[in-house]
Amino acid sequence: MPNEAALLDKNASGASGVTTAPKPTGAPAAKEDVLFRMRTELARALKKNPRERRWVMVIDQRRCIGCHACTVACMAENKLPPGVVYRPVVIKEVGMYPKVTMTFLPRPCMQCENPPCTEVCPVHATYTNKEGIVVMDYDQCIGCRACIAACPYGARTFDYGHAHTDNTPEVGGMILGRNTADNYERDANVEYGKKRERKGHSSPVGNVRKCHFCLHRLMAGILPACTTTCIGRATYFGDAADPDSLVSELINHPNIVRLKEELGTAPRVYYIA
Amino acid sequence: MNKKSAYIVGIITLLIGLWGFYDRFAYGHDHAAYGSVVVWGLWVALYFLFGGLAVGCFLWASLDLLFEIPACKGTGVKALWAALITLTAALIAIAFDLGHMERFWKVLLQPNLHAGVAEDAWGYTIFGGLTAIALFRAVNQKGKDGVLKVIMVLGLVVSLYVAGAPGKLMGVNAARSFWHAGMLPVQFLFFALATGAALLMVILTFADKKEKLESSLSILHPAAIILLGINLYFTWSYFSQGIAGGMPGIMLPAQEIVSGQYSGLFWGVQIMLGGIVPIVVLALNGKNNNIPLSGLMGLCILLGNGVSRYLILVAGQKVEMLPGMSQAVHGPGLTLTYSPSTSEWAVASGLVGLVILGLLIGADLLLPMFTKSRQEA
Ligand code: SF4
Ligand code: SF4
Repeated sequence: MPNEAALLDKNASGASGVTTAPKPTGAPAAKEDVLFRMRTELARALKKNPRERRWVMVIDQRRCIGCHACTVACMAENKLPPGVVYRPVVIKEVGMYPKVTMTFLPRPCMQCENPPCTEVCPVHATYTNKEGIVVMDYDQCIGCRACIAACPYGARTFDYGHAHTDNTPEVGGMILGRNTADNYERDANVEYGKKRERKGHSSPVGNVRKCHFCLHRLMAGILPACTTTCIGRATYFGDAADPDSLVSELINHPNIVRLKEELGTAPRVYYIA
Repeated sequence: MNKKSAYIVGIITLLIGLWGFYDRFAYGHDHAAYGSVVVWGLWVALYFLFGGLAVGCFLWASLDLLFEIPACKGTGVKALWAALITLTAALIAIAFDLGHMERFWKVLLQPNLHAGVAEDAWGYTIFGGLTAIALFRAVNQKGKDGVLKVIMVLGLVVSLYVAGAPGKLMGVNAARSFWHAGMLPVQFLFFALATGAALLMVILTFADKKEKLESSLSILHPAAIILLGINLYFTWSYFSQGIAGGMPGIMLPAQEIVSGQYSGLFWGVQIMLGGIVPIVVLALNGKNNNIPLSGLMGLCILLGNGVSRYLILVAGQKVEMLPGMSQAVHGPGLTLTYSPSTSEWAVASGLVGLVILGLLIGADLLLPMFTKSRQEA
């Protein structure tokens, strides 16, 4: 089994240009886990030309237990500040008392094939990259928020520069308080393979942010953080252009739906309802 | 209100604004109330209002400087100056709203010209340039000026385009059905014309005795009545259709405005104070051009139109993109509620102060020049 921590470290210390897929060598027990299959398929996909693969995510709503682990994993992976959310889980109550149940809808960016968000960007700061993923160029974004208004899925949020440790009191001479507590918040994340410390008003503060299918992990041969963290194994990820992949199998079932399909956005996120 | 009191109001509002400007520069968007759900708030509404005012003023200036309508003689320069001042306020408002205002140049030099924001930026830049040239030529005009006419024709075309551009900026968002209406840009054009007329009515109140130009009011008043009537008709069709259609994406924001949280602002300020009252007062006033009353009605129209932009803008964003989204996410800026923060109001006050002082100082400096050049001609 590949050592994810080691791969992440490698990624963090020199993220850009990491393209080598790990060679999965799982133990027999791990082979039974669907993650193992997806990881093998990911390695296979990374050997292809980027334009020949089609990344998709499939979310099985029947298996989601609404634990929000994916939301938290995403926050940790991308060091998201308060107010910036890439993958909330929308909870809906269904039925009437006493026959009440709940449905859970994890909502990453749909990575639309016809994304309305990119069309409205006045400076080409958000676009579909060669992997087919809708990405942000933080250094180009002027922060007009037109893309937030255009997204039909509410998948974009603005980074207003808040910190989880805002208003934490300081105690003089002690290892307490904001200046120490927020070190981890200032540390760089590696979104898009580039280290960015949160300093003052520099990007991504003042920019719109969104889910990118953990592109930096993918390029290192690691599945998105939400996928590996999902304890219900309700999130699947892979290359739909590979007919033997798990996601290919899943999206060909008749009970597959995509959100707001009538808008013609052609999401790359599918739901099994 | 005399000119002195207007200067005092201008200075006070600008002083309040200076604190808002400082707050914006020192703390970024920290103290703003808009967020990631309601992303555009008071400053964008002011951008729409001032941008519309600029265009409206230019269109009114064309009656004097292009079509040479005798009753409007002398209003052209004032209107062009007002267009420049309000355009400046509009651009400051939108620059303050940007997450990275220092990158504003990218919209001009690296634009995606399919995007509404870039279209607006280029449109207003060209419009501002044409207005400045037209003003320069009009102020220095000696006799017939063919170049001025050409500039005014070009400006007219660009004005018609930029007048509707904010409507397009909102209307392209197919995900927001409340905005996604083909007639939104047209509405903005009529709003612009009405506010332009209203601002001129206010400006003429403060003109010197010999420059009262009362004859132009005989055009502005009936025009304002007709334009307000058209605006009320647009408002009726927009909201009645939206509510009767029953589609939640349109109906809920429309109801929020007509019978919900914003009903007081809608009925009290937009419809009554900014629509029905000026129509009735200006109609009853008839040919008796009561100038102070005309200025007061101009202010009412400006207020009503400002509120109408704000309501359309904000209510259209108070919609969940997916049912339950607002419950799923918590944190700053992730709420469906919005009311402008103190710092947003302070900046708004500063922009109003800038416009008041800009208009007064401009009129005091420009009018003598203008009169002199006309007398020499
Ligand atoms: S879900 Fe929204 S942000 Fe993501 S690609 Fe589609 S329109 Fe863009
Ligand atoms: S906020 Fe940034 S990415 Fe979004 S439309 Fe504006 S410039 Fe483009």
